[in-house]
Amino acid sequence: MTALDLLALPDVGEEFSFSDEHELTRASARRFLAERCPTSEVRRLMDDPVGHDASTWRSMAELGWLGTTVPQPLGGAALDPLHLALLFEEQGRALLPSPFLACQLALSALELAATPEQAARWIPPILSGEQIATLAFEEPSGASRGAADTRAVPARGGWVLVGVRPHVLGAASAGLVIVPATEPDGGVGLFAVELPHPCVLVEAERSVDTTRRAARLVLEGASVPAAARLERSSRAVVERVEARGRTLLAAEMAGGIAAVLERTRAYACEREQFGRPIGAFQAVKHPIVDTMVSAELARSLALGAAVAWSREPARHDTLSRMAKAYASDAFAVAVRRGVQLHGGYGFTWDCDIQLWFKRAVASRALLGDALHHRRWLAAALGGA
Amino acid sequence: MSQPDELEAFRARAREWLLANVPARPSFKLPQTFLEVEAREQLEWLRDWQRRLYDAGYLGFDVPEEYGGRGVDRERRRVVTEELVRARAPFLVNFIGLEWAGPTILTFGTEAQKRRMLPPLLRGDELWCQGFSEPAAGSDLASLQTRAVRQADGTYRVTGHKVWTTVAHFASWMILLARTDPAANKYAGISYFLFPMDATGVTVEPLLKMTGEGGFNQVLFDDAPSPADSLLGEEGQGWTIAMTTLTFERGAAETHARERAAALLAQLGRVVELAREREREGAPALADPVLADRIAQLWIECAAIGLSMARTRAPALNAERPFALPLMNKLVSSEWNQRLAELATELLGADAALWLDDPRAPHGGDWTRGYMNSFGMTIGGGTSEILRNVIGERVLGLPKGK
Ligand SMILES: Cc1cc2nc3c(=O)[nH]c(=O)nc-3n(C[C@H](O)[C@H](O)[C@H](O)COP(=O)(O)OP(=O)(O)OC[C@H]3O[C@@H](n4cnc5c(N)ncnc54)[C@H](O)[C@@H]3O)c2cc1C
Repeated sequence: MTALDLLALPDVGEEFSFSDEHELTRASARRFLAERCPTSEVRRLMDDPVGHDASTWRSMAELGWLGTTVPQPLGGAALDPLHLALLFEEQGRALLPSPFLACQLALSALELAATPEQAARWIPPILSGEQIATLAFEEPSGASRGAADTRAVPARGGWVLVGVRPHVLGAASAGLVIVPATEPDGGVGLFAVELPHPCVLVEAERSVDTTRRAARLVLEGASVPAAARLERSSRAVVERVEARGRTLLAAEMAGGIAAVLERTRAYACEREQFGRPIGAFQAVKHPIVDTMVSAELARSLALGAAVAWSREPARHDTLSRMAKAYASDAFAVAVRRGVQLHGGYGFTWDCDIQLWFKRAVASRALLGDALHHRRWLAAALGGA
Repeated sequence: MSQPDELEAFRARAREWLLANVPARPSFKLPQTFLEVEAREQLEWLRDWQRRLYDAGYLGFDVPEEYGGRGVDRERRRVVTEELVRARAPFLVNFIGLEWAGPTILTFGTEAQKRRMLPPLLRGDELWCQGFSEPAAGSDLASLQTRAVRQADGTYRVTGHKVWTTVAHFASWMILLARTDPAANKYAGISYFLFPMDATGVTVEPLLKMTGEGGFNQVLFDDAPSPADSLLGEEGQGWTIAMTTLTFERGAAETHARERAAALLAQLGRVVELAREREREGAPALADPVLADRIAQLWIECAAIGLSMARTRAPALNAERPFALPLMNKLVSSEWNQRLAELATELLGADAALWLDDPRAPHGGDWTRGYMNSFGMTIGGGTSEILRNVIGERVLGLPKGK
């Protein structure tokens, strides 16, 4: 392949495949979140034992958010992934505390790897909002990505799972966790583990970002029945699930950058020093412009990845890595500038920038950080 | 609008024609872009290419037929540009005419101006230059001092000093900004002229670039006559019209976004090839993880810029800040290009210092020359700093500095 073919952009279609229905999705999500999730609500939920609001979650289920891309026979709306990415962008902007990402990861795994019977058993209660589900996708720190550490051993007509999975989103309130584990033949199986389980310890993590809860799962020889193994599991499925997760997380982070931009912009117009708004100083103005530029680029990559997800699947993996890598770094820079340009106030608990700052820290390496993905991209070009 | 099949057939014809007609490189050194054309032999060679492309029917897809174009067809224009990039065809020497002056004349010109100016512009028979900047009016363009004084017979007399005027030494025409009403405020006093460069009283003096190349000039006007019909639009409308030209110049016009993405990707592709081909510490440069990481970062940004250009075509996706993407286009593309060009010179190691006349200079010294020339794009057409001011104030509504 010539360098040029390899580098070619995905075809995103006329008008970026963006229709009036997409605009409807985006605008109604914006309205819903403005009403249900102002920052006062975010702050309230930071101290909440569960970490999300049950009635908001029910409304999200009723609005059909949870099953946006799920096929219709399974009870979903079968919309294209751009709809879902727009929802993620909006909830990232609002910093909605919820297990939305956790559930989408679990749903992707079920959709791609479950048999119809397995799907019929586990998907409907997730879509109705009754059951929170998650995916244990992170490895213990230092391990390479991809089910290295947790093992699945066949036993007594079923399986026994052994291992530790950190940073499992929403796990403390989840009734179902999908665990990728290495099987004796070296392949990867996805196992649906119902919680609570006597041999699965769920240790809530005390995250810097209390707007998104996570837990550490310790699987101490947890037995599961044979039917818990999602039958069409494979390494390729795990990679596709991760690509989807990266796309959604990148969209969420792009929304976060936009929120930080908006707040920083507004403060620079309102705060006066030396007899003029600080935004008149180029040392303030230009970094805000750079944040805007990065917000736009992050958005293009995330939405582009969402379009590629269904329209150009062969390029989705690459695009999702680009989107996540770019968003990880750009969000980090945006919140850094955001705090700095708010001055002493920016350093306080009261100033809302800190909320996105912490989200940026906690999300930066989830599903792979920028270094990880750039290394993959460089290898795709034939490099180190 | 072409049908998809028709468009693909058109693409196939264009590809075949280009394969047969893209000229082999001449024995003399070619300039890298339209900004650096200094010698007559370069000009004639490049002009010949533009003529052949035009005569074969592949140029003029944004100009109606009555003005010498092929009828407005964005899709065909995009296809041609993509195929030109693919075929590594030479650039079009009348770039300022095709991309800046032409579209402005099409927007503001009288019927007679359009009929007179556009056909030879498209064919490259008449080159255009842009006389905006002056020694004391660069970023602060509106403070320009060149005067155009209307005579009793309706003609004008121009006196003043323009600088950095690309290709003025070969141009037949200049899009010229001059002050017609010194009493009016800084913006309202400016008018826009289609000025004939063969007028008496015009002196063109070449300036040397940091690369040692020519390509731009200073132009002195000493009571130079300009005909009555050289005024574009109304007297005093010059600033508005100039802003339109700058919109085209900064790539902020939505029409050509997709094809520019193809050009960026082609540049990146060449650097990736360079990184595969050049060795460092006994291995291909691309195997160096630090360099590979930087190339990957530039790849990500290239995709982000390309997708953003595609996104400009979806107005509903940009409703909140409709001018964000168009106005940031030149800023991000030119800065990206500069970092890419700089990285290319780093890939070369110490050989980056070998200059054009050294037989061992990699690729004839073009990478180092390209890095230097990349500053043309971060300075010309509004500097990156000025664009950040414009975006900050016009898009984000931040207060103006004093
Ligand atoms: C290769 C090349 C080709 C060109 N071709 C043409 C041409 O064909 N026709 C033509 O008319 N012009 C042409 N130009 C001129 C170009 O448009 C000007 O150079 C440009 O607008 C900057 O003006 P200046 O050179 O006077 O720099 P200055 O305005 O003096 O700027 C010097 C530095 O100060 C910064 N600066 C200035 N004002 C501000 C501010 N308010 N805030 C922050 N920073 C500021 C600038 O960003 C820059 O870094 C060309 C320039 C180049 C480099």
